[in-house]
Amino acid sequence: MNRIAAVNQSANGPRPGRAQIAFSGVTLNLGGKAILENISLDVKPGEFLCIIGASGCGKTTALRLAAGLYQPTSGTVAFDGKPMLAPRRDIAIVFQDYGKALLPWRTASGNVSLALEASGMAASQRAARIDELLKKVGLPNHAGKYPAEMSGGMQQRLQIARCLAQEPKALLMDEPFGALDAMTRQGLQDEVLSLVRASDATVVFVTHDLEEAIYLGDRVIGLLPHPGRIGIELKIDLPRPRDQLTTRENPEFLRLRRELFDFIKASEA
Amino acid sequence: MNRSVLYWRAASFAVAAGFVALWQLIADQRLVSPVFLPGPDRAWASLVRGFASGDLLDKLLGTLEHMAYGWFVASIAGIALGAMIGSSRTMRSYVAPSLEFLRPLPVSAVIPVAIAMFGLTQSMALFVIAFGAIWPMLLATIHGFAAVEPRLYEVARSLHMSRLAIIFKIALPSASPDILAGMRLSVTVALILSVVCEILAGLDGLGHWVLLSARSFRSADLFAGVILLGVIGYLTALAMSMVERRLLKWRSSGH
Ligand SMILES: Nc1ncnc2c1ncn2[C@@H]1O[C@H](COP(=O)(O)OP(=O)(O)OP(=O)(O)O)[C@@H](O)[C@H]1O
Ligand SMILES: [Mg+2]
Repeated sequence: MNRIAAVNQSANGPRPGRAQIAFSGVTLNLGGKAILENISLDVKPGEFLCIIGASGCGKTTALRLAAGLYQPTSGTVAFDGKPMLAPRRDIAIVFQDYGKALLPWRTASGNVSLALEASGMAASQRAARIDELLKKVGLPNHAGKYPAEMSGGMQQRLQIARCLAQEPKALLMDEPFGALDAMTRQGLQDEVLSLVRASDATVVFVTHDLEEAIYLGDRVIGLLPHPGRIGIELKIDLPRPRDQLTTRENPEFLRLRRELFDFIKASEA
Repeated sequence: MNRSVLYWRAASFAVAAGFVALWQLIADQRLVSPVFLPGPDRAWASLVRGFASGDLLDKLLGTLEHMAYGWFVASIAGIALGAMIGSSRTMRSYVAPSLEFLRPLPVSAVIPVAIAMFGLTQSMALFVIAFGAIWPMLLATIHGFAAVEPRLYEVARSLHMSRLAIIFKIALPSASPDILAGMRLSVTVALILSVVCEILAGLDGLGHWVLLSARSFRSADLFAGVILLGVIGYLTALAMSMVERRLLKWRSSGH
C-alpha cells in the first residue's frame, strides 16, 4: 500500500497547459462589504494548491466561489475554460463540519450511495462501488454504521468517500482536518495525498495550519484580510513522496514555514 | 437497566390494579349510586356482552374508521402543505401570519361552520377531524422543513440532485422526527374529535354509544364505551411511539 502510494505520489503533480480552475479579477461583495478583492489565480490540472490566511480573511469564501456556490460580483471564475455558473458534479467539496455535511439518517454506505444515486448509477452496480470506496478511505468494516456511531476522523473519511464517489476532477477541501486531533490529522494527510495522486484530481485545500499546507501542497497561497486578496505565493519544491518525519525536518520545509509564519504575523498586525 | 424497567412495569401495573380495586370497593360500598357508577365487574360484563352481540365491535370499528380517515387526510394534507410552506422562505413569511390566526381557533368554533356546510354527515365529521388534527402535523412539518441543515442543501446542489430527490432524500428524512411527533399528537386529537362528531351528528361509533347509554342510564354500557376509548387512545399512542423509535433509530444510536 505504502509503496503504491509512493509511486503514485511521485508520478503526478501539476500538469502543464490550460488552467483547470481560473480566477480572473474576482471580486465578491457580501452584504455590501468586499469580502474578496481582485483575485487572479490559476490552478493547473493535477495541482495540489493550499490556501492559508488568518481567520476571517476569506478562505472559505474563495473555495465556495471555486465550487460555484457563490457567483463573483465582478471578474470570472472558470473551470476547464468555461465560466462556472453553478456547482458541478465533477467538483466535490469536503466541508470542515463533517457532522453537518453527512446525512445522519443514512448509514456510511447510504451516505456514499447518495452521490452514486445522484449520478444515476444503477442500483445493482452501487453496492460494489460503495464497498470499494469505503475500503479506499479505510472504512470497510463500518458500512452499516450511522454517522452518530463514528468518530470525527471516521466521519471525515466518510465525507471524503462520498466526494470520491463523484469522481471529481477537482476536490475542494475546507479545513477538512481542523477539528481532528494531531495523530488522526497526520494519518489523514498521508491518506489524502495517496488518494489524490491515485485519482489525478486537482486539489484546493484550505487550512489554518501552515505546516499542513507546506507538507501537502505543490504551491501555497496566503490571503491578506479585509478585503481578502493574495498576499504571498510560494512554490513548494519538497521531494515527493512526502514523509511525516523527513519532510518536516527538511531545511527547505523549515525555511518555508518561517516565511509563511512571518507573513501571517505581518498580516495580522 | 433491564431490571429497573421491569421494576417500573410492575409498579405501574400495581398502581393500575390498585385503582381498579378501589373502584370496585367504592361500587360495592355503594358510595356512589350504581345508576351512575357500575363496578369494574359490571363494566367488564357489559364489555363482554357488547362484543358477543357484535354491537360494540361495530361501534368500535366506526370510531376507528372516523379517526383513521380524518387523521389520514390530515397527515397527507398537513405534510404536503407543511413541506410547501416550510421549504420556501417567502412562503413562510406570507403564510405564517394567517396560520397564527387560524391555529389558536378552537375546533369547536369550526364545528357549526362544518355543520352548516355539510349537514350532520360523515363529510362533516371528516372535515372537523381533519381540520383539528392537521395543526400539529402542519406546524411540525413547517418547522422540520425550515430547520434542515443548509449544508445538506449545498451537498445536494453540488450533486445536482433534482428537486424531488432533495425533498425525499434530504428534507423529509431530516424533518421526520418533527413530523412523527406531530403525527403522534394528532392521533389523540383525531380520537377526541371523532367522539365529539359522533355525539353531535349521531354517527355510528363509540361516541354515539356512550351518549345513548348515558341517556338511558345504562351505566355499565357507558363505562364499557369509555374504557374502550381509553384503550384506543393508549394503543394508538403506543403504536406511534414504536413506529417512531423504529424509524428514528439513527438518532438514538451512538452519542
Ligand atoms: N454570507 C455572508 N454575508 C456577509 N459576510 C460574510 C458572509 N460570509 C462570510 N462573510 C464574511 O466574510 C469574511 C470571510 O469569511 P470566510 O468564512 O471566507 O473566512 P475564512 O477565511 O474561511 O475564516 P475561517 O478561517 O475562520 O474559516 C468574514 O469576515 C465573514 O464575516
Ligand atoms: Mg473558513
